[in-house]
Amino acid sequence: MNSPRALNPDDLLDTIVAVYDYGDYPQDFLASYDIMECLGEGVGCDTFLVQDAEESQFIAKCYDKSVWELEGSDDILESLDHPNLPKHIARFDNDTMTVVVRTFMEGTPLDRYANAKDLDEQEIVSICAKLCDVIGYLHHRAHPIIHRDIKPANVIVRPDGSVALIDFDIARVYRAGSETDTRFFGTVAYAPPEQYGFAQTDERADIYSLGVLLRFLLTGSPRQNKNVRVYRPLEKVISKCTAFDPAKRYSDIDQVKRALLAANPQSQGLRIAGIVVAALVVFGLLGFAGVQIYRAVTWSPFNSDAIPAVLNDEERIADAVSYMKDKYNTDLFDNPDDLATVGLLRHVLIDLYGLDRDYVYSFQEEGLPGESDDYFMAWGWDDDQTVRKETAVYAAVKVHDPKLVAEDQWSKLPDDNGEYPGARVAMLFADETGITTGVNRPYDITKGELALVFANADRVFEAAE
Amino acid sequence: MHVAKTTGITTRELWARLFKAPSIGSYLDEHSGSTFPPFSDYIERLCEERGEKRESVINRAGIERTFGHRLFNGTRNPSRDTVLQLAFGFGLDCDETQQLLKIAQMSALHPKVKRDAVIAYCLNNGSSLMDAQQTLYDNGLPLLGGAKRE
Repeated sequence: MNSPRALNPDDLLDTIVAVYDYGDYPQDFLASYDIMECLGEGVGCDTFLVQDAEESQFIAKCYDKSVWELEGSDDILESLDHPNLPKHIARFDNDTMTVVVRTFMEGTPLDRYANAKDLDEQEIVSICAKLCDVIGYLHHRAHPIIHRDIKPANVIVRPDGSVALIDFDIARVYRAGSETDTRFFGTVAYAPPEQYGFAQTDERADIYSLGVLLRFLLTGSPRQNKNVRVYRPLEKVISKCTAFDPAKRYSDIDQVKRALLAANPQSQGLRIAGIVVAALVVFGLLGFAGVQIYRAVTWSPFNSDAIPAVLNDEERIADAVSYMKDKYNTDLFDNPDDLATVGLLRHVLIDLYGLDRDYVYSFQEEGLPGESDDYFMAWGWDDDQTVRKETAVYAAVKVHDPKLVAEDQWSKLPDDNGEYPGARVAMLFADETGITTGVNRPYDITKGELALVFANADRVFEAAE
Repeated sequence: MHVAKTTGITTRELWARLFKAPSIGSYLDEHSGSTFPPFSDYIERLCEERGEKRESVINRAGIERTFGHRLFNGTRNPSRDTVLQLAFGFGLDCDETQQLLKIAQMSALHPKVKRDAVIAYCLNNGSSLMDAQQTLYDNGLPLLGGAKRE
């Protein structure tokens, strides 16, 4: 063998050219495509950006056959046809290598996209919901396909705002009943526990990874950090996606999408708009309905008028106290760390919201609590008692729309757990619309938290109007 | 890893000859995790350090004038080929070019890509952009800047 250092520059060039021309790639692949960039090197698998004679760009995955056992053509992966998934173009084989060429999804990987732009909750929800649609296409095929490596680097935000999922290296068709996965696939922080080989992985593996991805987008890290508070309704979605036991996760990606959209208060606006539209269509008032749809669709809960999402709880309370102070010109919420009392709650209802004093103070003396036109509160309270979160939420919702807690709403509840049903309906509504954001104590809430409940409710109802 | 049947030299060994850094892997390891200045700031600074005028760098890089100034002003982002053209415009060597690609958030010159190897060879030889294009052309490789090969 020649001593490398003896090569003169021209020989070096010849050597370079020779090395590459005698490579392991299938010759028909090299005849059709120029290799332009190496985008990734894995064990026995390299990913290249290639271009054809027309300078159209594609992705080529080159598998070393001594490392990978690839079956013949994979009809199930090759038949994928979705605008946000890479499409199979061609496959080349020789003795040592298999090359799979797919369309190149141009755009920015989500990790880089998220670093460059300060994404707010609404954009994050929108990206994840779009991702759910793509994952749904894979999961809901006759032979479900599990991606198994969902992570920000494999999600591409395209110039038109759509979201593509790439890298089907390890995606496999789920074979029900087959033995446990013998090999580790995936990226450690994003992989669910069962992917380490405890059990056969199914669709819920992708749901786990999506939960981790959501946490990454909201907090900047895929790992849980108790010091970083996440907008509560979204935190719930993350927890359920990433439950250790797959049985405790969402069982279907569509459920994740619904939960995401419900966690985003904008959805409540859309629902109210839907009801308004349905009613108005009946009366043929389509012009007015159009305005309502426009308002609901363009309503952003994270704009200045809506519930501020990117605050910690302390900032939320300070914000709410000053919001209430400015709006109602009141000093009722001064000393926000003090405990709120039922007397204060009644003051708020009478002084700020203009309810009649007798209506607020009277209550049903006998029998079970219930709704009545004669009294606002369904329970009897003394003025010096402390306030439960539920009571505050019930009052804040009811003061805007008594129909939401009316008896005909209770029939929705599957059971009665002993709590007063009007309060439970109000809590469900409040959790869904974000009114309870930042109120963490179930009992003995502070004046600041009371201000927060009322300020959040004001914003939600005003935005929905 | 590809081994030339004629010479017994691997791509890695070749690559080691083209770069001061022992391998692309160590280059990337050294630089991962650090944050970089915007591309436009970086090329502006390169001009100052090397006592170059924008205009002459743009000329030697074979980049259209208006587009070139927009790159320096940060109103346009370069493609990977444009970054490589600028490397020839500045007369950078391989290691400096890898740094420039990294700052532009583009994939590095890679030992497994024949076109990259030829470009790296030309950079190390101090070739002009025209000479590099000729070498690419002679070897049936796509030219820099997207001109179709024959």
